[in-house]
Amino acid sequence: MTGAPVYEALGQALDAQQERLLPCVHCGFCLPACPTYNRLGNEADSPRGRLHLMQAVVEGRLEPSSEAFRTHIDRCLGCRACEPVCPSGVEYGTLLELARETAAKAAPQGLPTRVLLKVLGNRALRSPFFFIGRLLRGTRLAALGATVLPSYGPLRAGRLVLAMLASTTRWQPMASGDAISGNTDSGSDDVSRRSRVAVLLGCVQEGLFTRINSATVRVLEANGYEVVLVEGQDCCGALHAHGGDLERARMLARTNIRVFEASGAEFIAVNAAGCGAAMKDYGTLLEGDPDFVQRAEEVALAVRDVSEILASSGPRIGASIPCKIAYDHPCHLLHAQGVEHAPITVLEAVPDAEVHIVTDAEECCGGAGIYGITHPELGGLIGGDKVAAVRACLADAVATPNPGCMMQIGAGLRLEASNEGVIHPVELLDESYQRAGFYRVRGAE
Amino acid sequence: MYRLLEKTDEEPVASLLTGKVSSGMTRPLPSTVVSDLAKIVGHEHVITDPDRLLVYESDGLTAYRRPPRAVVLPSSTEEISAVVGLLHSNGIEVIPRGAGTGLSGGALTTPEGVIVGTARMNRILKIDVENRIAIAQPGVINARLTEATNPYGLYYAPDPSSQSTCTLGGNVAENSGGPHCLKYGVTARYITGLTVVLAGGQIVEIGGVGRDPYATLDLVGLFVGSEGCFGIATEIELRLLPITEGVRTLLGIFESVESAGRAVTKIIACGLMPAAVEIVDGPTIKAVEASVFAAGYPLEAGAALVIEFDGTEAGLDLDADRAEQCCLEEGAIEVQRATDPEHRVKLWRARKKAFGAMGRIAPDLLVQDATVPRTKLPEVLAGIDDIGNRYGLKIANVFHAGDGNLHPNILFDRQNQNELELVERASKEIMQLCVDAGGTITGEHGVGVDKRKYMTLVHGPAELEAMAAAKRVFDPASLFNPGKVLPEVEVKGATDTAKILATGE
Repeated sequence: MTGAPVYEALGQALDAQQERLLPCVHCGFCLPACPTYNRLGNEADSPRGRLHLMQAVVEGRLEPSSEAFRTHIDRCLGCRACEPVCPSGVEYGTLLELARETAAKAAPQGLPTRVLLKVLGNRALRSPFFFIGRLLRGTRLAALGATVLPSYGPLRAGRLVLAMLASTTRWQPMASGDAISGNTDSGSDDVSRRSRVAVLLGCVQEGLFTRINSATVRVLEANGYEVVLVEGQDCCGALHAHGGDLERARMLARTNIRVFEASGAEFIAVNAAGCGAAMKDYGTLLEGDPDFVQRAEEVALAVRDVSEILASSGPRIGASIPCKIAYDHPCHLLHAQGVEHAPITVLEAVPDAEVHIVTDAEECCGGAGIYGITHPELGGLIGGDKVAAVRACLADAVATPNPGCMMQIGAGLRLEASNEGVIHPVELLDESYQRAGFYRVRGAE
Repeated sequence: MYRLLEKTDEEPVASLLTGKVSSGMTRPLPSTVVSDLAKIVGHEHVITDPDRLLVYESDGLTAYRRPPRAVVLPSSTEEISAVVGLLHSNGIEVIPRGAGTGLSGGALTTPEGVIVGTARMNRILKIDVENRIAIAQPGVINARLTEATNPYGLYYAPDPSSQSTCTLGGNVAENSGGPHCLKYGVTARYITGLTVVLAGGQIVEIGGVGRDPYATLDLVGLFVGSEGCFGIATEIELRLLPITEGVRTLLGIFESVESAGRAVTKIIACGLMPAAVEIVDGPTIKAVEASVFAAGYPLEAGAALVIEFDGTEAGLDLDADRAEQCCLEEGAIEVQRATDPEHRVKLWRARKKAFGAMGRIAPDLLVQDATVPRTKLPEVLAGIDDIGNRYGLKIANVFHAGDGNLHPNILFDRQNQNELELVERASKEIMQLCVDAGGTITGEHGVGVDKRKYMTLVHGPAELEAMAAAKRVFDPASLFNPGKVLPEVEVKGATDTAKILATGE
C-alpha cells in the first residue's frame, strides 16, 4: 500500500464514521437482500463486501482511488434493502454516501453523473433542461426515438432516456387531471379541518410530473388539510447525496430547512420516496454543522410521505374506478422509511380498484437514480426482472410512488411494447375524488 | 501414528493474539492458470485483483483474515470439476466457500489457496413432492428451499440461525444444526445423496434415494460434516418433511440463566419432546431488544427460554401446559405463549438474529460453540460466568439448551491488544470447562481453523490418525481445504506437497 498521504486526505470522511462501520460483525445476513450480489455472486458487490472495502480504506489498506473501491461503491444501487435485515443496525445508506464522496474526491465520476447532478441542483439550469424534456415528450419525439433507436451500441443509453421520458405521460384513464382550476373544496362537511401541510415540489416532480404535485395538493385539501405553498424551496439533494456530492446536498438541505421552517407547516408532505428518505435524513446529513443540526433534525421530524399523512387520517373514499393496479414498493419508501402499507391504503380508498402487490415488490427496480444509464447491463438485468414481474400481474397500471421507479418501470414496459399505465397512488385517488365531485368549487354549485 | 508438531514454518494465520492481518503476502496465480480458469467460467468470474480479494479474507469469523490468491465462481458441476482439475494439477489448494457465514473459519484460505465459491450455483433443480425429495445446487440458501417447498406443504427441517443467508453446500460441509434439530436432527439426517467433485476434478455420485444407503458403505454419512476437506458437493439431494399441523411457542422469563438451565433439564426429564428449547441470556436480550428484531423480551430478565412444541394438534396444549409448569417450578417470573403466527415469528426472529445484534454492544465478538450434557448446563453456565468475571470480559450466551449446545459470545474490541489476549485465554478455559463436564469442543459450527487447537482435548492420537487416514483416501495430496479440522501436522504436509507440485521440485 503506497500513498498513505493520499489516504489521509481522502479517507477522512469515512474515517470520521468509524463508529458507523464497527457494528458490522460480518454475519452476512445482508447478502440475499442485495440485488447486485444476487445477480453477480461476487461478494465485492454485496453490502458486507462493500462495508469491508470501506473499512479497508479507513484502515489504510486500500486506496480510495483504487479501481476496485470506485467500481464496487459505484455499482451499488443504493436501494438500502440491506438495512432492514441487518441485526446490527448498520446505517448502510449513510456510509454509502460517505464512501461515494470519498471515491469521487479520489477520482472524478463519469460525465453523465456530473452533468446531471450539476443540472438538478441548480434551478436556472434545470428549468430549460426539463423544458426540453417536456418538449420531446409533448411532440412525441421521445416515444418515436425510443422505438427507432437501437437497443445496443452507443445509442442504447439515449433510447432508454427517451423511453423514460415518454413513459412520464399521463395514463389515459386519468382524464380529468389538470382540467380542474380554482380553489378545490374540502367537500362534504364531515371532513374536519386538519393541520397545515407544506408540499415539497422536488426537481424531477416539478419538471416532469407537475400533475402529481397538483394531485397531491388537491387530495390533501380534500382530506381537510390546509396546504401552504412554500416559495424558495429547492431540490431536496437526494441525488447529490447518493452521488457523493455531499457539499451540494447540504447546501440544498439548508435552503429547504430555512424555507420550510418559516412556513409554519406542521408536516412536510413528500410524494417522491427518494426525496422523503433524504429529507428524513437531513439531521444526519448536517450532523457536522453545529448551526444547523438541530434545525435539520426538527425539519426532518416533520417530513412525511404523502401516503403516511393520508393513511393516518384514513383517506376519504372516492368514486369507483374499476381497474387492476399492480403496486411496487419504492426502495426508499419501504427500506429507507419503513413505509409499507400507507400507499396501499391510499389505493384502497378507491372503490373497485383491485390492488395486487408485484412479486418481489421489495426488490429494487434498477432505476436507482440514473443507474440504468450508467450501468446499462446490470440495470437492464434488474429492470428486466421487475418488468416481467409487473407484466405477470396482468394489471391495467402499475403504481409506485417515486419518479425514478415510475420512469424505470415505465421505460421497461414501453420498450417491451406492454400497455400498462404508470401512476403515482395519489393520482388514482385524485381521479377518484374528481369523479366523486369532491372538487366542485363552492361558488359554482 | 499421528503426532502434533510443536512448531510450523508455515506463515501463521492472523490470530486473535497477534491481531495481525496477513494481507499483501499472497502470491499471484501464474497467468496461464488465470487465463485457463477464465476459459472455464468466464473472465468476470475469476477474481485476482488483490484489492478485490480483501473481501474474501474472512468468513463469519473475522478474527482470522487472509486474502486468497484468487476467487473462482463456477456455475455448474462441470465447471467446478474443470476448475478443481486445473488447480489441483497445478498443485494449488482449493478452499470451498458458500455464503461465508461460518463461525469457525472453515472458509479461510491457506497462503497458497484459491477460493472456489458456490454463489452462482443457486438453483433448485427438482422438487419431488410425492417422494418428499428435493435436489438443489450447493449455493441455494437454506431458507429458500423451505420457501420453495412450502406451497406443497413441505419444508426443509435443519434451521441454522443463519438460515436466511447460509447455503445448503455450507450446511453439508458443516453438518449444520439449528434450534429445531433437538427433535428433528441435524443436516446429516436429511442428506440422501450427493454429487461430489473429488480431488483432481473427478465427479462422483454417492448415495441417492434410489439406492439403499445402509446396504453399502455410507459415503454420504462420511462426506456430510467433512468441512470441505474431502471435496465439493455440487448437487445435493435432500429429504423434505411435511409441515406440522400445530405449533405452540412459549417464552419463559427467568431471573437467572442457571434457573432457566434447570428448567430445561426438568422439561426433558419429565418426558416431553419439544421441537426446540433455546436460552437467550440477559446481555443478549439487551442487544436484541435494541435492534430492529426487538420482540418484547423484558429488559431486566436474567434469561429467556424459548420452548416450542409441534405436531398434530391433539395434545399440544397439554405439552405446553406441562412445560409451563416446569418453568414455574424452577422459578420462572412469567411464561408467555405466542398468540398468533406473527407473534411466534417475532419471538424466533429475536433468537435467530441475536448474533448479528451483538454488533450493537461491542465492536467484535467471538461466537464460541461447544456441547455439554444437558444436566450439566447450570454448573457450566455458572462456570462461564465466572471465567468472564475473572478476565473482565463480557460474555453473552444464546444457545440451543435442549441439546446442551452452548454458544458463549465473547465480546471484545480488536483494537485493544490486551483484551485480545484475554479473549484467547478465556476461550480456551471455556473449552476446557465444557470438556471437563463431559462435553465436546463443537456442537454445530465445526472445527474449522479456530477449534483445531482444541482437538487434542477430546481426541487421542489414534482417533486423529483415523481422521487423517480418511482425509488421505479422499484427498491424498491434501489440496482440499487444508489446515482445517485436523491439528497442525496435516497442514504442514499439505503445504509442502502443494509447493512441490506447484514448483515441480
